[in-house]
Amino acid sequence: MAELVGATTATAVPIQPDLIQPDLAFKRKILGLGAADLGSCYQCGTCSVVCPISTPDDPFPRKEMLWVQWGMRDRALGDPAVWLCHQCATCSAYCPRDAKPANVMAALRDYSIAHYAVPSFMGKAATEPKYLPLLFAVPIVILLVILAWLGHLAALPDGQIVFSKFMPTSSVEALFVAATLLSVAAGAAGGVRYWRAMRCQMDTSGRGLAPALVPTAWAILRHQRFGECAARWPGARETYKGHLHRTHLAVFYGFLGLVVTTVSVGIGIYVFGYLTPWPLWHPVKILGNASGLVLVAAVAVFGYRRIADGGRAGKSTYSDWLFLGLLLLTTLLGYLSELFRLAELPGLAYPVYFVHLVFVFVLIVYLPYSKFAHVVYRTVAMLHAASAVAAPGAGPGSEGGTQVRHPLLRGEEGDGGALT
Amino acid sequence: MDKKLGVYVCSGCGIGECVDPERLAAIATDEYHVSVVRTSPAFCLEDVQLIRDDVAREGVDAVVVAACSPRVKTDVFSFPSASVERVNLREQVAWSHPPGEEETQSLAGDSLRMGITRAQKTRLPTPYTEANERSVLVIGGGVAGMTAALGAARAGVRAILVEKTPRLGGFAARLWRQIPTRPPYRELEEPGVGALISEVASEPGIETLTGAEVQRISGQPGRFEVTIRRDGELTSATVGAIVLATGWRPFEAPALERYGLGGSPNVITNVTLEEMARTGTLNRPSDGKTVKTVAIVQCDGAGDEANIQYSGSVSSLVSLKHAMYVRERCPDAVVYVTYRDMQTPGPFEYFYKSVQEDPGVLFTRGNVTQVSEDGTGGLVVELADSPLGGGVRLAVDLVVLATGMAPVPPDSEGLGLEYLQGKGLPLSKYGFADSNFLCFPYETRRTGIYSAGCVRKPMDLAAAARDGSAAALKAIQVIEKSSAGAAVHPRVGDLSYPSFFLQNCTMCGRCSQECPFGAIELTPGKNTPFVLTNRCRRCGTCMGACPVQIISFDDHSVDMVASMIKAVEIPEGDEEKPRILVLACENDAYPALDMAGIDRLQLPASLRIIPVRCLGSVNAITAVDAFSRGFDGVLLLGCRSGDDYQCHFIRGSELLATRMQNVRETLNRLMLEPERAKVMDVEISGFDRLPERLDEFVAQIKGLGLNPMKGF
Repeated sequence: MAELVGATTATAVPIQPDLIQPDLAFKRKILGLGAADLGSCYQCGTCSVVCPISTPDDPFPRKEMLWVQWGMRDRALGDPAVWLCHQCATCSAYCPRDAKPANVMAALRDYSIAHYAVPSFMGKAATEPKYLPLLFAVPIVILLVILAWLGHLAALPDGQIVFSKFMPTSSVEALFVAATLLSVAAGAAGGVRYWRAMRCQMDTSGRGLAPALVPTAWAILRHQRFGECAARWPGARETYKGHLHRTHLAVFYGFLGLVVTTVSVGIGIYVFGYLTPWPLWHPVKILGNASGLVLVAAVAVFGYRRIADGGRAGKSTYSDWLFLGLLLLTTLLGYLSELFRLAELPGLAYPVYFVHLVFVFVLIVYLPYSKFAHVVYRTVAMLHAASAVAAPGAGPGSEGGTQVRHPLLRGEEGDGGALT
Repeated sequence: MDKKLGVYVCSGCGIGECVDPERLAAIATDEYHVSVVRTSPAFCLEDVQLIRDDVAREGVDAVVVAACSPRVKTDVFSFPSASVERVNLREQVAWSHPPGEEETQSLAGDSLRMGITRAQKTRLPTPYTEANERSVLVIGGGVAGMTAALGAARAGVRAILVEKTPRLGGFAARLWRQIPTRPPYRELEEPGVGALISEVASEPGIETLTGAEVQRISGQPGRFEVTIRRDGELTSATVGAIVLATGWRPFEAPALERYGLGGSPNVITNVTLEEMARTGTLNRPSDGKTVKTVAIVQCDGAGDEANIQYSGSVSSLVSLKHAMYVRERCPDAVVYVTYRDMQTPGPFEYFYKSVQEDPGVLFTRGNVTQVSEDGTGGLVVELADSPLGGGVRLAVDLVVLATGMAPVPPDSEGLGLEYLQGKGLPLSKYGFADSNFLCFPYETRRTGIYSAGCVRKPMDLAAAARDGSAAALKAIQVIEKSSAGAAVHPRVGDLSYPSFFLQNCTMCGRCSQECPFGAIELTPGKNTPFVLTNRCRRCGTCMGACPVQIISFDDHSVDMVASMIKAVEIPEGDEEKPRILVLACENDAYPALDMAGIDRLQLPASLRIIPVRCLGSVNAITAVDAFSRGFDGVLLLGCRSGDDYQCHFIRGSELLATRMQNVRETLNRLMLEPERAKVMDVEISGFDRLPERLDEFVAQIKGLGLNPMKGF
């Protein structure tokens, strides 16, 4: 049993064994974040055995279950496995006591995002519903001030609908470049705090970040871990997250398509002076519209599954719905403003465009504090894992770190067989 | 012999295809001159009427049915006023031997010869029916005892309830709460012992004597003479049966000192915590500070073997209950529970889960290696081998040790049995009443005395109540059987009992010493044995023990077995036809042989099987008889002996093993190889391996060669 956490406590040989001081407030918080059944766990370890990506020397979610039960907050916060988990929920499907380990991992991620938030009050603001109006009030006020300053508040622009007549491109760009920089800075600060916590709790010897960059990026683009989660042994129990690999792939590339579109449009305007609106047949326009459609469809699937699987998956949390709602509404409002523009309805097109901008602002600026922050923390955790020295016993199937293939999978696919 | 025999050879169920029934019938007619011999394709169907008619009209009073095993169709082959012998031609001949072979026919013939001989020697027993007192003495006024008394009284059997202390209730009256007994098994419950006490008080069929102790018990089931001391006065009573429910004491061995018990006042047992919870608040004993952190140590790890013997699931459940006590009284308290195994069987799993739901109760597996004082009144518990890490420490105000529940030894409670074998109940090495735990859990080795509740094994209140009811039923059963002169477990209904041909008695007293149930006493002054019939379980151990073979049953005796051995035809000089006498215990070995037949496994044809009541009933002379008759080997099939014995009569197979030493010495004297006689442990579930083991023995005998005494 000692090896279970032996690897995580090897920073120094203590003269006396660690004195455990349970943080019950932390435990209660996690219980309230959708992990109410956590207490049922009796440490049988089934979850870690069935987990497709857990490894023998890092058996998650078993150790996280114990840490949360015992209120061992610092251990849980400095744990890369919380983010290495990709929520396939196989553990929940097999838990003999229905303790729903997958929900505990999700709750820990929610908690981590709020905990590492810089500045810290934003963590609270983004996780409590009562602050939601305040979050929206900020971009509304900023945009209204800009409009008032431009004198566009009194009347909507006449003639053909061109959004830059209402809200000049320069203002939009200035506002959102600033917002993005702010967001990136806050995200980076959170990521660094998480990295430091991991270094406190984990063995740091021989880690190098640089060699980990490319394999990690490649793994993200390929959705390698999602693939490993989805590739399961014959006869494995169905989980409510069976769709996750495909749906997340769609969301990921849909969103990436929209980012590429936005950047391309910026380049078009500033480098080539090619002003918007661009015609519908333009390749970049096609990319944007198609990406948006993929994104909306995939987000709709996510939302539908959250409702349909409520019984098995447990109650979805505020942060789950906030993130999904923001993504969906931001994209839909973008489409609506485009449709109203094409339908030449200025009375609708301009206000909807305004609301769309509010949502885009909320999405970007609050990224490091919402569930969207997983792009930061999961990447950091994957970097951390990939930077570790390959553990002895890591088979040829391991890639860039301590990843050892699940024994059940290894048996099926042969040594080092490609699953992804 | 003035008996009139009727021999009925059946050819159904494949017997007719395997052996020649006419040749068997000829044995009865020609060798034994039996006048009534019949054959039928199926005696168990309408042809059973032929037997009935013979009994009614022809005066047949000893029926020999050569058909299926004596273990089946006992209701069909039962005839009033006639004894019935069964010759097992189906399971142990036709179904387990090759058809049409001379050795198979020879086996069937010998089986019939032995059956006819037995029928000639048997007599219908006359039951002893003079002890028929219908009342129960219950010793111990706890939950088990009160429930037993209520159960008996409500079933129409008067109960005398004797409690040593001034009031009823037992340990249950000292409880604050009890573990859940009802769905959803989440909430602690009132012990409810008050209601039980008033039920007992208002039950007219119960006479309650508190502050009283049993001084002396003599007699036998159906008529125990009991002397009870109360307030210095002795009263006597006659009862039919006794329920022993004296309960438990906390196990406090020096083994728990390693957890600091006795060293620090803040290390207490779960019994002390129960007392604290019932009488006041949970304060730290050393300074009265309110307890905020508690470690409940299950004491079931390495080094706790002594405590584990008396723990069981009830200790786990009590620890869960105590965690709730602490949490209910102090909302910000933290309770650590350390264990090696949490045992929460059946619906108590829900209880375990409900306690786990409380965020303030933290569970972990692990071994407590040290408990030390931190200098400020608190304690530090060091934990090893837990999933929390290699070693961790917990700072607590109070350490609660889950102690086991040791039985109150009946000796110290003064059961005062006036038995030759001693005043107390024979105990197992753990101090519980010795019994065949699997098959007859409530039995003790004193027939008519049943143990119930925590004196029998550690258990919770609900289980103790169930135990009380069950023991009451056993008590009523023994009363009913005793009044009819019939045996109780395991030979239920057996009317025979041992009798002594005292002219030849050497007064050695061995029968009275070896009886596992203390049924045989010696006449004072003369030292001759006599049996207290209703104490007897009819195992025949006395018969096997007697060096001069003067003990016999109406339907079973040393002489009868000797005659059956003589009835077997021994082929001379044929190396391929050895003859091996098998004495098979009727409880496991004989059914195992039947089951081998039912599964059509092949048994060696050289075996001649005689069922015996218990290996304990086998007299050493029997084995010697067999060798002098020309048998090449003797095999004794019985139950396992030792600490985990399976013997239904507790000591039978163990006693036989001792006697076999003498048999082997005798064989040496006769210049025979001692390995010709062998005792083999057979359990009923091992029937599939039995043919192989028997074949091995036969091969071994063949290897030794034929018995040189053949033909003498």
